Amino acid sequence: MDRITIALAKGRLGEQGLELFKNTDMEILREEDSRKLVFKNAREQITYIFVKPSDVVTYVEKGVADLGIVGKDVILEENKDVYELLDLDFGHCRFAVAGFKDQQIAKKNEVLRIASKYPRYVEQVFRDRGQKIEIIKLGGSVELAPLIGLSDVIVDIVETGSTLRDNGLVILEELDPISARLIVNKVSYRFKFEAIQRIEKLLGGI
Amino acid sequence: MQFSTITEELQVTEFRKGIERELEAFFEAKGYRLIQPRIFQGYDSFVCSNLRQDSSKTVKVLGGDSRIFILRPDITTNILHQIFSKWEGSPPLKVYYNSKIYRNQPAGGILEHYQMGVESLGEDSLKGDQEMIEMAAALMGTLGEPFIIELGSSKYLDGFFKELDLDLETEGVLRDLISKKNRDGLRRRVRALGLEDTVLSTILEMEGNMESVLDRAKSYERNDEMMAALDELEGLREFFSTRALLRNIHFDLSMMPDLDYYDGIIFKGYALNTPKKILSGGRYDRLTQRFGKTVSAIGFMLDMDLVTRIRIKGEA
Repeated sequence: MDRITIALAKGRLGEQGLELFKNTDMEILREEDSRKLVFKNAREQITYIFVKPSDVVTYVEKGVADLGIVGKDVILEENKDVYELLDLDFGHCRFAVAGFKDQQIAKKNEVLRIASKYPRYVEQVFRDRGQKIEIIKLGGSVELAPLIGLSDVIVDIVETGSTLRDNGLVILEELDPISARLIVNKVSYRFKFEAIQRIEKLLGGI
Repeated sequence: MQFSTITEELQVTEFRKGIERELEAFFEAKGYRLIQPRIFQGYDSFVCSNLRQDSSKTVKVLGGDSRIFILRPDITTNILHQIFSKWEGSPPLKVYYNSKIYRNQPAGGILEHYQMGVESLGEDSLKGDQEMIEMAAALMGTLGEPFIIELGSSKYLDGFFKELDLDLETEGVLRDLISKKNRDGLRRRVRALGLEDTVLSTILEMEGNMESVLDRAKSYERNDEMMAALDELEGLREFFSTRALLRNIHFDLSMMPDLDYYDGIIFKGYALNTPKKILSGGRYDRLTQRFGKTVSAIGFMLDMDLVTRIRIKGEA
């Protein structure tokens, strides 16, 4: 079989992705508590690399990784030229606009200030709405922004909604649903077709 | 490419010039003649004729009388302007170019991009298709790496969508899902639209062996345009079946064209260990209509920056 490199998002999503390979010949060999970022399976045909979620898409587009497991949220934000082969059906959540109860998303003639970790996605969602917006890019703790008056609303991923509730925010509008996806480099898809198909099957595809 | 010393730069330039000479000789031996595209194009006519292209990516230049020009963002349409404005009209006309295109980069700079390519106008369609794929494969073969030619036809799905007559947005979503090979997303959409019985439900499996894919495609209901697309491909398959080339061709009927003017076969060339397409092209008869006369037209371009890089690596 061809050698394959798989990029995984560091954190819960990547760990859940690895679970799918468990008890197969592609199972990862990993020492406990290791800080290493590169691992292989026993027969050394598969290399797993752990990177920042937003970098998974970049690694795959540039071809340093053949495959990647990453959330749809990152794919929507990065908008890169890769195949999106499989919905892995875990890591479910959705994008949503959230703010204080009764907050209006459509503000006539006024600029709506939106805080988000996903500025390009926000831009794309609001592009055709005729609502002037200002996007405030944050790295985390987005829920804080409306509380301290930094923004009117936020756009973020919402799983159970408990973080929102704890901060007195509610969902104002639901946007795209999110789940973990298997992405593939377009050239790898051609050259390593059989290996990729095998992995696709293993992960629950056709 | 960027260099740390002038010696290195001159070496690479010399090396690339060698490749260019080789390719020029190759094209000329096939009866293609050099054409030099113009560097400036009128901005207005570009915007009018490329509605779906992002005009913010073009590099603007202000003329003396404050008219706006752009530096050529692609070569094919540029050449067609040049040819059709004064063509006496005795086809076939075969030209090649060795030139650069210019685009604005997101980070602010201007990207210069080296391309060589060919355009064949007024040639018999099947013969043109055959010649292009053969030339493309021959050129990919000079890279010294295993290569794949991805082959499809934009006409097939165009014909399908035309008959379906969906609103533009829905069609756009479906096309996007197909181009991303997003099987789950496509399945959901197709179900929501009640199109399970159409070719859309299996389009993403329509790749691999040309013969079996064509057979499968024929089992679906099809209109004249789809039929014509399949006939063209069948003609190509017969031609290739006697040649070793078939091994390098990966057929994919779900391929989406990068440019919306393609209306026939489309193809891309990939080499092992290079994560980007090196060659791309297709048939664009429909585009010539815009210039006042419909002729059979097909061409492809080679990314010379990638070709040079791959060949230098091969030398080392």
